[in-house]
Amino acid sequence: MEQSKSISLPKVVSFLSSVLQWITIFLMILLTFIVTISVIARLMGQSFSWYDELAAILLAWITYYGSALAALHRRHIGFDTVLLHIPIRYRMIAVFIGEAIVLLFFFLMARAGLQVLEVLEGDTLISLTWVPVQFTQSVIPIGAILFMLCQVLSFPEYWKLTAAGVSLEHSEIEEEVATELEKNKDRV
Amino acid sequence: MLMVFIFFALLIMLFINVPIAVALAMSGVLGLFITEGVDSLVTIALDMYDGSTKFSLIAIPMFVLAGAIMNAGGVTDRLINFVTAIIGFIRGGLAMVNIGVSLFFAEISGSAVADVAAMGSILIPQMKKRGYSKEFSAAVTSSSASLAIIIPPSIPMILYAASANTSVEQLFVAGVVPGLLGATGLMTVAYAFAKRYNFPVEEAFNMRKLRQTFFDALPAFALPVIILGGIFGGFVTATEAAGLAVIAALIVSAWYRNLDLAHLRRALLDGGIQTAVVMLLVAASVLMGGFLTRAQIPQQLAQSILSVTDQQWAILLILNIFFLIVGFFLHSAAAIILVIPIVLPLITAAGIDPVHFGLVVTLNLAIGQQTPPVASVLITACSVARANIWSVSKVNIWFVAVLFVVLMLCTYVPSVPMFLVEYFYR
Repeated sequence: MEQSKSISLPKVVSFLSSVLQWITIFLMILLTFIVTISVIARLMGQSFSWYDELAAILLAWITYYGSALAALHRRHIGFDTVLLHIPIRYRMIAVFIGEAIVLLFFFLMARAGLQVLEVLEGDTLISLTWVPVQFTQSVIPIGAILFMLCQVLSFPEYWKLTAAGVSLEHSEIEEEVATELEKNKDRV
Repeated sequence: MLMVFIFFALLIMLFINVPIAVALAMSGVLGLFITEGVDSLVTIALDMYDGSTKFSLIAIPMFVLAGAIMNAGGVTDRLINFVTAIIGFIRGGLAMVNIGVSLFFAEISGSAVADVAAMGSILIPQMKKRGYSKEFSAAVTSSSASLAIIIPPSIPMILYAASANTSVEQLFVAGVVPGLLGATGLMTVAYAFAKRYNFPVEEAFNMRKLRQTFFDALPAFALPVIILGGIFGGFVTATEAAGLAVIAALIVSAWYRNLDLAHLRRALLDGGIQTAVVMLLVAASVLMGGFLTRAQIPQQLAQSILSVTDQQWAILLILNIFFLIVGFFLHSAAAIILVIPIVLPLITAAGIDPVHFGLVVTLNLAIGQQTPPVASVLITACSVARANIWSVSKVNIWFVAVLFVVLMLCTYVPSVPMFLVEYFYR
């Protein structure tokens, strides 16, 4: 009874994952829309002054919201060959140190991001003067905090896989291959 | 001394599987902290933001998205049918089809791993069923998918162009001839295997079938026409071509009635995540790059190598060996972002054309995708074929040898990749 009322870790991961997925998808749609209409407009002899600035901001937003999502599913590029060959006891110590380094970096990034936001108060974009730079640059502290959250939430699964000697890259590839094989099973 | 410490810290972080982007950024932060103190750390936010807003890299999400839409949109079957109609009559035809379709798919997508998973899952089981060994099936799929990264559009090329501040359009054009040469070489090796192991012929050549499959696949050809035609003709930039490729991919998939909302959602998500992973690396490289520049490391490296030799052939030899070793341990995106800023002053000082060098680097990294332990494309192909990586590598060595010959040819006969660039741009 007690258990069914509590919010389990997989549920939190799944909720956060779907929120980040929809943010990433929305940003990708917006970027695609802006790039394509700007290309078409340019080929027809017109160009939008806000195109370069807005597209670059969207790319930054995709980078950080998408990165948090990638962290939640441990999709960032790494090199686990050496780690997986270390004896188990030292391997798990190394895992802890690695996680601490990641968290420390994003903590520093969040802190610096908040400092920068204070300095930028009152600044606006060059082409869209009604958009405050604080809003566009908010992605740095928010992205860093989200990254830390995702890293912590995905840690138990990473710990389990690494303790079992399973490569993250290999399990990701296996997953993708299984999806494609399932999709194409009728064609073979 | 400081540099040795930073390099050591970077190496340790890589060995304990800290994401490469974070390891790079943290090394830069460490350098910044030691040389300029804690107050300087506020630049982390500025550098990480600026690094992720490089306008030319907008082409990456667009090409990844176009490829993902086409992968989901039923284009693969039509391409396989068309290429089978052209070369299916040759012994070992299905292996040739695999290489031919890879070459064509490279014109659409920027991601070799996604292509090998999507295409390999159709072709490898078919090849196994027709009597090809699983090792050979995986090797031919893997090597041809890697060759595809030198054919435009190519994400490593886009990243190189941004890192080296050179023209991505020229780099795309430079990849065409080596790509075709490499495909011919791979087909020759596949044919030699087919003769030796008596692999089957698919079907007799039939003009009517060729015409029918051609018209069926015709809408899919719109993408290469837009990308290559637009860029070669100077009508659009690489970023604009990428935007148009997305529209074309959507239209083609709607035409084939194979794209539903679930596939489109998946394509957008894959595109977003792949972009984020690469862009975080790019942003992190700004932090590390800032530290390297302040410490004058690339300039010192250039001076020390130039004091040993200033011969272009020798410098290219050293860099080829270096990149081949790097390819064993790093993914192509990470290798470019990590290494190019360091070797660029050397390239400039030695008078090597950065476009030519970009192609040489991309070819090196294509070989790197085939050499374990870090060999994402090979691992994916082995996973689809359910084959052991080392047994596949024994067969694959012949295909990798082809890529190596193309690399040597492009390195030491620059006119092979560069004559089209000279013709169109100079």
